[in-house]
Amino acid sequence: QGTVQGQAIDENGEALIGATILLVGSSRGTATDFDGNYVLENVPAGEQQLRASYTGYGDLTKTITVRDGETVTLDFQLGEDAEVLEEVVVIGYGSVRKEDATGVVAKIDDKNFNRGAIVSPEQLLTGKVAGVQIAPGDGSPGGGSAIRIRGGTSINASNEPLFVIDGMPIDNEGFAGGRNPLNFLNPSDIESFTVLKDASATAIYGSRGANGVIIITTKKGQSGSRPRVNYDGYYTVNEIRGEPAMLDADNFRDVVTFFAPSRLNSLGGNNTNWFDEMLRQAQGQNHSLSVSGGGQDFGYRISAGYQQLEGIIRGSETERASFSLNYNHRFFDDKLKINTNLRGARTRDVFDPGIGAAWDFDPTQPVLDPDNEAFGGFFSYGNSLAPRNPVSAAEQRIDEGQSFRTIGNMEIEYSLGDLIDGLSVKTNLGFDVNQGDRNTFEPTTYTNTQVANFNGLVKIENYTRTNYLFDAYLNYDKSLNDRNNLKLTLGYSYQDFYEQYPLFEGQNLSTDQFGINGPAQAEDVFPANSVFENRLISFWGRAIYNFDERYVLTATLRRDGSTRFGPESRWGLFPSAAVAWRVLQEDWAGSLNNIFSDLKLRVSYGITGNQEIGDYRYLPQYAFSDQRARYQIGTDADGNPIFINTARPNAYDPGLQWEETASLNVGLEFGFANGRINGALEYYTQNTNQLLFEVNVPAGTNLSDRVLTNIGELQNQGVELTLNANLLKTSDMSWDLTGNIAYNRNEVLGLSNIAGDAGILRGGIAGGVGNNVQILRVGHAVDAFYVYEHILNDDGTPVSDEDDLMMYVDQNGDGQINELDRRIFQNPAPDILYGLTSNFQFKGFDLAMTIRGAVGNYVYNNNASNRGYYQRVQGVNIGNDQFFLNNVHESVLETQFVAPQYFSDYYVEDASFMRLDNVTLGYTLLPKRGISSLRFYVTGQNLLVFTKYSGLDPEVGVGGIDNAPFPRPMGFIFGASLGL
Amino acid sequence: CTDLDVQPRNDLTPDVFFSDDAAYERFLTRIYAGLAVTGQQGPAGNADIKSLDEGFSSYLRQYWQLQELPTDEAIIAWNDDGLPDLVTQGWSSTNQFVRAMYYRVFFQVSLANEFLRESTPEKLDARGVSKEVVDQMVTYRAEARFMRALSYWHGIDFFGDIPFYTEDQVIGSTAPTQFSRREVFNFIVNELNEIESDMLEAGTAPYGRADKGALWMLQAKLYLNGEVYTGGETYWNEAVEACNKIIESGAYTLMDEYHHNFLADNDRSTEIIWSVNFDGDATQTFGGTTYLVHAAIGGAMNAEDYGVNNGWGGLRTLPSLVDRFPDETGNIDERAIFFTEGQTKAVEAINEFTNGYTVPKYQNVTSEGVAGSDPTFADTDYPMFRFGEVHLTYAEAVLRGASNGDLGTAVAYINALRQRAYNNDAGNISEADLNLDFILDERSRELYWEGVRRTDLIRFGQFTENGVWAWKGNVQEGRTTSPHLNLYPIPAEELLANDNLEQNQGY
Repeated sequence: QGTVQGQAIDENGEALIGATILLVGSSRGTATDFDGNYVLENVPAGEQQLRASYTGYGDLTKTITVRDGETVTLDFQLGEDAEVLEEVVVIGYGSVRKEDATGVVAKIDDKNFNRGAIVSPEQLLTGKVAGVQIAPGDGSPGGGSAIRIRGGTSINASNEPLFVIDGMPIDNEGFAGGRNPLNFLNPSDIESFTVLKDASATAIYGSRGANGVIIITTKKGQSGSRPRVNYDGYYTVNEIRGEPAMLDADNFRDVVTFFAPSRLNSLGGNNTNWFDEMLRQAQGQNHSLSVSGGGQDFGYRISAGYQQLEGIIRGSETERASFSLNYNHRFFDDKLKINTNLRGARTRDVFDPGIGAAWDFDPTQPVLDPDNEAFGGFFSYGNSLAPRNPVSAAEQRIDEGQSFRTIGNMEIEYSLGDLIDGLSVKTNLGFDVNQGDRNTFEPTTYTNTQVANFNGLVKIENYTRTNYLFDAYLNYDKSLNDRNNLKLTLGYSYQDFYEQYPLFEGQNLSTDQFGINGPAQAEDVFPANSVFENRLISFWGRAIYNFDERYVLTATLRRDGSTRFGPESRWGLFPSAAVAWRVLQEDWAGSLNNIFSDLKLRVSYGITGNQEIGDYRYLPQYAFSDQRARYQIGTDADGNPIFINTARPNAYDPGLQWEETASLNVGLEFGFANGRINGALEYYTQNTNQLLFEVNVPAGTNLSDRVLTNIGELQNQGVELTLNANLLKTSDMSWDLTGNIAYNRNEVLGLSNIAGDAGILRGGIAGGVGNNVQILRVGHAVDAFYVYEHILNDDGTPVSDEDDLMMYVDQNGDGQINELDRRIFQNPAPDILYGLTSNFQFKGFDLAMTIRGAVGNYVYNNNASNRGYYQRVQGVNIGNDQFFLNNVHESVLETQFVAPQYFSDYYVEDASFMRLDNVTLGYTLLPKRGISSLRFYVTGQNLLVFTKYSGLDPEVGVGGIDNAPFPRPMGFIFGASLGL
Repeated sequence: CTDLDVQPRNDLTPDVFFSDDAAYERFLTRIYAGLAVTGQQGPAGNADIKSLDEGFSSYLRQYWQLQELPTDEAIIAWNDDGLPDLVTQGWSSTNQFVRAMYYRVFFQVSLANEFLRESTPEKLDARGVSKEVVDQMVTYRAEARFMRALSYWHGIDFFGDIPFYTEDQVIGSTAPTQFSRREVFNFIVNELNEIESDMLEAGTAPYGRADKGALWMLQAKLYLNGEVYTGGETYWNEAVEACNKIIESGAYTLMDEYHHNFLADNDRSTEIIWSVNFDGDATQTFGGTTYLVHAAIGGAMNAEDYGVNNGWGGLRTLPSLVDRFPDETGNIDERAIFFTEGQTKAVEAINEFTNGYTVPKYQNVTSEGVAGSDPTFADTDYPMFRFGEVHLTYAEAVLRGASNGDLGTAVAYINALRQRAYNNDAGNISEADLNLDFILDERSRELYWEGVRRTDLIRFGQFTENGVWAWKGNVQEGRTTSPHLNLYPIPAEELLANDNLEQNQGY
């Protein structure tokens, strides 16, 4: 046996770090170190073949003669692989060369992901893709996000994109057991996201394509790669940034003294900061370990992960243990390819009671009241109208959920090239099983149960959600001659979703001692079970025709059948067509080649659908009343009442159909300076027709006042620009800058027969039931704010007066202020979204940062409107001449409002912002023997926000109403990655 | 495989539902329950009406609020959008409470129509329903028509000219047209005459279902206001005839204790002709008597005294009602049920609960002082029709010119109520005392907070142009208002949805 050593370099002579050197015919190999050197010992004597491979470069195999006990040198110079550099992008049911992509497809991989303590996969993408808004719902650990690709296309159906994981469309509906259904996926298992934005790309997903598609590709084992072990671990610490603007105890006393002196005796003698009581410094940890490698014909990857993260609200936590397995194998000279994925996770969420009550609770009252045994020693007003002591809620309640989710699929591809050249068949069999529960326990001493007089509560919610998939398709890929290439795909898909939600609720517990295990102790029990099923069956085809590398034409057609619609209208057809013109390939383009490295013009048009509504809305059905909504008819022989479980016919629309979104996209892709600068400019318009909308129908035409039906039209229009620049590249240093900016405008074009100035009120707020501050009105943005115009004092503060006419502009001049004087004022959707990512590298150091922001997104500050008025200190009478007082929002010091002014435009604020989302500094140590990489890093998350918005955080989800959400923390992460 | 035949499992399709003979009773009961519950989950959930908060969508709660809050009998403290406007008569076509009432009325009509479509002899025959159920169906169908007539009556009383449709209007068809108030009135009159013989005898219906007694009472109330609904024609004789049928049936007597009609065991009342039923365990809702009991508790009141766990601090009354009684303690006239401790009589601020006496007329304790089955949801049934009102209706119709009654009997009927109230004959009146002003006041003393006041004030011409009480017209001293407020507006949503409708004048 002998030893082979050498170096791997690129075309410029630069060392290739981490290139794989494999002894062909064995599974033995090694990787090059920081100087590109490798040593492979114990190589059998004789003629041996070594293969060098490196991502983005072509493999190179060399032969050398090894003699026992000798060391020979074998260097590799690898050339950039045209095939690999011509990046392949995943599209639905297949992939194409990036050059051949005719639709708007954005790929974000591992290198560009956001860093940080990320629980939910979609957060890896935040700010990275033009026109994709990932609006965190709140700051809870692993909380769900609302994702909007090019604005929302619907009003009552879902606006969330379709997620496809390794070819398996999944159901990402919210559920009781956890905060976010995507949390089962360990972010470190993800190789790339591909965002399909226009109809040419998404029409292949037919009735589920209207809101865009996000394809997640997970990491796979590479055949011919030596075993690699990777570990990544971090520790994180998070804290609230800023504090809610409520009065402290001293200020509160002053306000009470001034406005409601008669209530001073209702105050306590403490100085409690309820936010301090409820918030904490939260810690967390994350560990991921993976092993991957492969032999001649197969690749494997196994990973395991563990994450545990506290929320900054007392009691909240999320935990995940996950594993994944990928195995792929090629048989019979690559004729048969099998790729299998299996992943599973257990997630556990501990839910907090929220901090709404901390905003309201009187700061002069104590947390504890040891004499108050009925309430477990916590201070409590013992009244259902009064806020709950938030600390007692955090301490006394148990509210946690866990879910077990397993997703697996097997893709089998077989080449029928012997039969017809270029033909292959592929099937994909998949399953997704998600089971879990959520358990709630409230002891008999808890205020909620005390005031409702049910003395303790146990609630167990279970759920099972399964989803089976069968896809089969034929691919035909053939170069007809030098200039004509044709790719055809023809397929069938069957997917069935089944959900079941049994629930048990028990009230009036004989003892608290069993906690959540006390159902048997409950005097009153309320069981329930809900079952849903829906199925999608589809036939689809796609043709991609490439003429002379100059023109690429793509046409797709999908026919979808869905159980969500009636037999008359359940089958729909979704066509699309697109053409791309690669200008530089033209003969006459010669001089352009000096300026551009890439120039491609694309135009696409297509129709996609949206069917994300409830099941069976087309069917007449009778709903039975539960045990608490029965009705007495008569008495039995003993004189006891007879209660009947009643049945109600539900409203339905037999002609219900999917929404249709017709989209046009015109795009230009370009590259300069040998590809060091490249980007794309897109213009699009999307019109949604047959809007699925729950609308008031004429009394008498249905069985309720509102029915979900297809009515109305909505438009989104926008421009997107993406730019990637490689600003610097030397042997020691590199700097990449990626930016995106998107403008979108949406407008309601039609709503039933509602025309002109009428509209539909939306946007319920906290403070008075039925108070809405938004409107859907033809000619305006969806959910535009609909408020009074507040008259301002000379100093710019709003006028405060008992007489509405002094405060608000009488728009119609009728001498009174009523709803006719409300007007449209701004809307919650941002006009502009932007993101900027910088990656800088100098020798072993790397520095990455992401900045993102939005312009023109307005927020209604409900925290201020619902709490910023002096009447709150007059207190609410709870009987027996006792009062509870509510704390007041600091905005009152400026507004001087005595009574609430819910409809004032003062509360509609410009929430444009720029956020420094994360900054990561890392250092990679020179590889030593056996260690191919070792990197230490520190990340700061959510470090800075620039905004004029007066509330805690300008990002309040897509609804635009800021209503005491879980504050988003800022955090630091300290981590290390090790590669073997 | 293209099998897309997936059937629901939580709810039943009509084929499955009607395969059980019990379906018809479940369905009919739902029409009755439509006055009490807000959806198929108690106390809230699976709502019937969707264009507003479910807790606000209760038929009875909105019926009560629309009949009482704009009058001289009640005031409410809460700031919910549009609620203060009910108190001050400042509502518009976007008022959510007006909207709730409107859609509730037509929800009931649509339910009844669907029942009539699904219970035809042909359908029963095709489904092979048992003979027992077929025999019952005559009465069931009459009751469904009665319930439809009741809601149509509420519809014309509140809204005037309204969309009109019957079981011939199938689901998903074109929008109904607007019928005049008079046309719908005539329809109700005919309906009630047609179904009378099919209804169960007075006093024999299972508790909660309507029988001939309820039908006659509806006729009496309809005829008493016939002049308002038809724009001039009077029906005093018909009103007296209906009252006589109720009285002569012998099925009802006045309770000895006035207050027992409004307590948790009022299902034992001999005076209640027809009630909307509630139960703390089985019929939970945030409307109905749960609302009436809780909302009237606050200030120095101890909620437990009224059989509930807390007060909602909303409803009080105005001095105008208090002053109608000889004294506010109830010592002279026991119908004066006021809580005054810590409360001012005058109402300086609408939203200050301690302004205005509170009225614990509805309570969740029994006549024996035992709390109801649940401290949140009341057991107390709502007396929709009460025999006491028959006495007053008879007297008024006679006074207004009925030829088939006499003043002597009228005075005797009034005195029967007053003797019960005074527990002696000190309050008795003579024929000379009996005039329309007295009737209006006596109706208030007897029937305050029972959801009749607005209709009464309109009949007596006192609701808008005449009549002044605190906060009417949004000033504390009160002022007269525009007569267009005698009708509520058709909700803006409905006008947009149905091109056939014209808004009431003045809105």
